Amino acid sequence: MFSNQQIDTLPRHHTIKFQPLADNAIWHVQINWLLFYIPLMTVIVAVRYFNQPFADAVSAPWLLLLPVLVVLSMLYNLYSVRVKGIALREHDIAYKRGLIWQQVTLLPISRVQHTEIHRGPIERKLGLATLRLYSAGGMSADLHISGLTDKQCNDIRQFVQSYGYDNHAAVDELVDE
Amino acid sequence: MNNNDWQRVSPWALLYFIVHFAIRFVKDGLLNLLPILVIFVTQVEQKWFWGQVAASIAIVMLVVYAFAYYRNFSYRISSENEILLNKGVFKKERLTLKFARVQNVNIAEPFYFQPVNLVNCIFDAAGSSAQEAVIPGVKLSYAEHVREQVMAFKAQLQQSDTPEKAEHAAQPSAQHTLTLSNAEIAKFGLMSNMAILALAALAPFMNAIFDYLETSLIARLEAMFNEQAAFVGSAAALAVVTVIVVIVLCAVLLSVTMALIRFFNFHLYFQDNKFKRVAGLFERQQLSISSEKIQSVQIKQNIIARLLKRYTLICPQVSSGNTAPGVAAHKNKQTLVMPVLTAAHVQQVCRWLFPWFINLNELNFIKPERALLYKNTVLYVFLPSVISVVVIDQLFETLSMLWGLLPASILMAAVFLRYQKTGMALYQHEGRSFAVFRTGMIGTQYRLFEIYKAQSATTISTYLMRKSGLKSLYIQLASGSVSMPYLKSVDAEQLIDFVLYEIESEPRNWF
Repeated sequence: MFSNQQIDTLPRHHTIKFQPLADNAIWHVQINWLLFYIPLMTVIVAVRYFNQPFADAVSAPWLLLLPVLVVLSMLYNLYSVRVKGIALREHDIAYKRGLIWQQVTLLPISRVQHTEIHRGPIERKLGLATLRLYSAGGMSADLHISGLTDKQCNDIRQFVQSYGYDNHAAVDELVDE
Repeated sequence: MNNNDWQRVSPWALLYFIVHFAIRFVKDGLLNLLPILVIFVTQVEQKWFWGQVAASIAIVMLVVYAFAYYRNFSYRISSENEILLNKGVFKKERLTLKFARVQNVNIAEPFYFQPVNLVNCIFDAAGSSAQEAVIPGVKLSYAEHVREQVMAFKAQLQQSDTPEKAEHAAQPSAQHTLTLSNAEIAKFGLMSNMAILALAALAPFMNAIFDYLETSLIARLEAMFNEQAAFVGSAAALAVVTVIVVIVLCAVLLSVTMALIRFFNFHLYFQDNKFKRVAGLFERQQLSISSEKIQSVQIKQNIIARLLKRYTLICPQVSSGNTAPGVAAHKNKQTLVMPVLTAAHVQQVCRWLFPWFINLNELNFIKPERALLYKNTVLYVFLPSVISVVVIDQLFETLSMLWGLLPASILMAAVFLRYQKTGMALYQHEGRSFAVFRTGMIGTQYRLFEIYKAQSATTISTYLMRKSGLKSLYIQLASGSVSMPYLKSVDAEQLIDFVLYEIESEPRNWF
């Protein structure tokens, strides 16, 4: 028989202890950025070398701006990965992200429609995976968590799939990871 | 009615297939034929002759394909509670749809079936048109029987899940009805943005239209106005204004026509927690929705609706995952739209759904903190004004800068009105908790939902917001999302905890 008594204290989500992402997560982010910046810088330098009007328009000091941007981006990545965290509770998953706009999303497991695990070549090399959890009605995944280990992703997926059957299983084990 | 023989649809269903494939050809095929169309327009001489030849071939192919499709189409309502369809011409496919997966069974009566008293029986699998199964050209009594059969099976399934529901199901409730006159429906044409959409659809051809109008109409109008001795002012300007007014009137007329086509003779019935809506000019669409499937209720009143003292009420079901929620709500055929309601109608319909429903203005809405007003003033009033003043200063005299104050004051009014309208309220009734979110500027939009139907919740805060102890709240629903900016952190966190508690402790199905 379901009861719905007046409650005085609710479980409070802001006391959740978030687990940081995997150690290699920062490398994944940095390599992804470098894979964007290095070809861009190469193209700009090459165009400047072969194209005189472009070389006249963009003087050498301007070119230093790009490495500065790369360093700043990498610093930003370092901190943004540090603030990310995931927590699995008995009935929901919490994910914290964002350096400027800090977001905490809580997705009840009973609302998860389907899960996806993605592993790109860099992720495979680093032993990482991306977990996507979808609920109903959203345009894209409600939770898109990259930087977890492959085992963490599979364990979470298993936990989500078995929720409702034995929703108490494996929670402690996962949180300790 | 169950049998294990495959059944053919009536020969009249051929009409449905022809219309269906013609619409699909226009929707999907024409875009693919665009390169050929360009070659045809630029390269081919005797366009009229070859155009007629191409159109004749296309029509013949369409009819032949529709006939072949009709010949191959068969259906079966199996004794295992499944709907089976055999279809396809080049690629034969069998569609199996279990009764348990059917969300709704809708009955549509296209105008071409009216003389022969046939209807289309539409099985909606997941609230998206992609997963529809249609049996065209069946008798109304048969379609109704199948619908009852499917719904009885689903009710039985639900009762075995939750036996306490059986007691309620055994007592049929009184039927409520709501009928909208076609004059009211025409008002929806004025209220809706269909007129703007119609104008937007004409946008690519605007240049050609204006060129044509300039030579044919504006010149004549100008000459006519010039002849009027009493007329003072620029005849050319007046001619242009006249043409613009005519275009806008045409767009409005088009919008009214579209509203009438969609909602003609609108009848709404509510009984045993189920809505049934019948409407449509060329195709009488019967839409049935169980109130449990409704994810939220939107009550909208835009500026024109406000003048007309009318509201639009939208009850979306689960929207398809690949579509933007707002778009899905309107495009989804399974969304129940009540286009033009008076305030009394809104109360009436909402009370069918929520017996507690009171005038929403009486609710105690929580407002965002004042910091939101300051932030929006800086972002949307101060910054654009400074930039425009700097630009105007470069281009014009200092006196012209004063004109910059006019848009600034309009922006300020807009920011203030939006701030005033934004709010949220909670309501509890017999152990069930509801949330109402209000947004708007001149018009107002309410979104009302039972909290346990929410899908996920997020708090968002910037550095400055955290310093001021503020957070914004964002709740994802199965049909769109709601947000409440700049709440006190403590309140936002408590709200999220409450939403999660409602979702996680409520054993009822959310869909």
